[in-house]
Amino acid sequence: MSGNQARFDFTTDPSGRRVLVLEGDWTAFTISPIDRRLKELRVDDGDSTHVDVSGLQDFDTAGAYMVDRTMRQLGAPTGADILISGEHHSARDLLEVVSKSIPDTIERSPDEGGLKAMVERVGRGVVDFIHEGRGILEFIGEAVATVVRLLMTPHRIRWTSVVAVMEDAGLDALPIVAMLSFFIGLVISFLGVSLLQQFGAQVYTVEMVGVLMLREFGVVLTAILLAGRTDSAFTAQIGAMRMREEIDAMRILGLNPMEVLVAPRMLALVVMTPLLTFAATMSGIFGGMVVMWTVLDISPSMFILRIYETVPYQHFWVGMVKAPVFALVVALVGCRQGLLVSGDVQSLGDRTTSSVVQAIFLVIVIDALFAILFLELDI
Amino acid sequence: MIRETTDPHTPAIRVRNLINQFGTKVVHDHLDLDVKQGEILGVIGPSGCGKSVLLRSIVGLITPKQAEIDVFGVNLDKTSSKTRREIEQSWGVMFQDGALFSTLSVRENVMAPMREHLDMPYGLMRELAEMKIAMVGLEADAAGKRPSDLSGGMRKRAALARSMALDPKLLFLDEPTAGLDPISAGNFDNLLLSLSRALNLTVFLVTHDVDTLGAVCDRIAVLNQKKVLAIGTLEEVRANPDPWIQDYFQGPRGRAALD
Repeated sequence: MSGNQARFDFTTDPSGRRVLVLEGDWTAFTISPIDRRLKELRVDDGDSTHVDVSGLQDFDTAGAYMVDRTMRQLGAPTGADILISGEHHSARDLLEVVSKSIPDTIERSPDEGGLKAMVERVGRGVVDFIHEGRGILEFIGEAVATVVRLLMTPHRIRWTSVVAVMEDAGLDALPIVAMLSFFIGLVISFLGVSLLQQFGAQVYTVEMVGVLMLREFGVVLTAILLAGRTDSAFTAQIGAMRMREEIDAMRILGLNPMEVLVAPRMLALVVMTPLLTFAATMSGIFGGMVVMWTVLDISPSMFILRIYETVPYQHFWVGMVKAPVFALVVALVGCRQGLLVSGDVQSLGDRTTSSVVQAIFLVIVIDALFAILFLELDI
Repeated sequence: MIRETTDPHTPAIRVRNLINQFGTKVVHDHLDLDVKQGEILGVIGPSGCGKSVLLRSIVGLITPKQAEIDVFGVNLDKTSSKTRREIEQSWGVMFQDGALFSTLSVRENVMAPMREHLDMPYGLMRELAEMKIAMVGLEADAAGKRPSDLSGGMRKRAALARSMALDPKLLFLDEPTAGLDPISAGNFDNLLLSLSRALNLTVFLVTHDVDTLGAVCDRIAVLNQKKVLAIGTLEEVRANPDPWIQDYFQGPRGRAALD
């Protein structure tokens, strides 16, 4: 809002007192230009300074604060004792209200910089890392113990939420998982055909697609999609519940969040991930089959026969055995990060980010460990 | 300036024929309401009667099915965006849960409207924000804290400080004293009274607190059955024979607070 500029002036009234004359509007919208000039005012013998408000128009707490600050600066009386001449409908009330609300000066500790701060941050980082590791182990232990206990007393399992999560995280993810895997299958076999053609061995693309899809891509693609799609949803759901104190309410009502929130998600994912993996694998191989048929004229029946003859069963089981492990990783990371959300929105965002990052990281690391293990076992 | 272009007898808020409907549930049916300039109007009514919806319709957070709403004599739907902005600068809203920005400190929350609407040096904004924070009765060290580190009562105060950051002419308060201890609520009432007198504030106060009604409100509007059932001073409203109003004021809580 544009109003009249705030103006001020010093005069001496007939009886020889100093008078601070206020003119124009003194509101939040008009005082900025005079801020600096008012701050620079220094008067030594100002102990009897009056304020003349007769020329004052609009006045609000921001304006009153400026007057109050100036009067304190001049060593003049403020608040109820302020010396006002002239009439204004709200000046005295406002000046009184404001002078009661001057905050005590806060002592600001100087920012520490340089080497000390750096060492401190490094130290904190290391300690946080250790805490994080221990936290993960504790959480895994608690979650596994809960699930084992629940499996021994199946009537305590929350079947409704298990099934709901199965639909959300499993069935609803089917189209995207299948489609992505199909395209990866296409890409692999195109690459295979164009590379192996150089040796005239393009027909081996069938084995390549089969083995890669069965052993690695089906399950890893599924796990990464779950990490992006389901894991973030878990963190956000549980995190929002934490922010609204629903988790605390559960504890008070005697419900164990591990049992109510974490266990159903773990169980549902452990059941659904192998199924999704199977779908992903099949549609990846189907993608390969489409390429072979269109590019190399290998008919679907020949393709299937060749896979049947040249790709041993064990590859399928190597892929499938990883699926429940990845499911556990995704569910545990998502739930844990959700439970770690604190009161504010910032931490919800941070936790969701680190949840997805951790889940994808762990999936790939664990997949590498599996690869080494199977290599050693000669499978 | 808005104040100079309107005469003091124009109602601060004038609502005519307000209809709000969610699905098949009609919340307001041809509701009329006037809020005079400089008064504190307390709005009461049973839970779910649409008090907050009325507030949200006036400040434009909800688009009603049908309505004619003037603020300081200006119809917000038909006016230019510049006038609308001016009107919006002249009101402050305090939401039921505070609605403080959780990633900002209390001080930054109070400074947020100033940054947006004022061209003011940072240092002065900071000083003013700290003054407002002290004005609503918060300790100085609360200024640097995040809302999540404050108690419920402190959050309410911080929310009030933010709603008054631009020295509004019109203040909307949605249950400001709910959840406060009686002493804090009493202080809040006193604060509201002294500020509204000094600043000539018009206050639209949604409340359930009978003490607040008696202590600060010039007039009271009772919302029920989709309309304003009664409006007037406390005595006038208490004299209304409507059973809900009688229950409200004659119940043990109402009597204890007002007698």
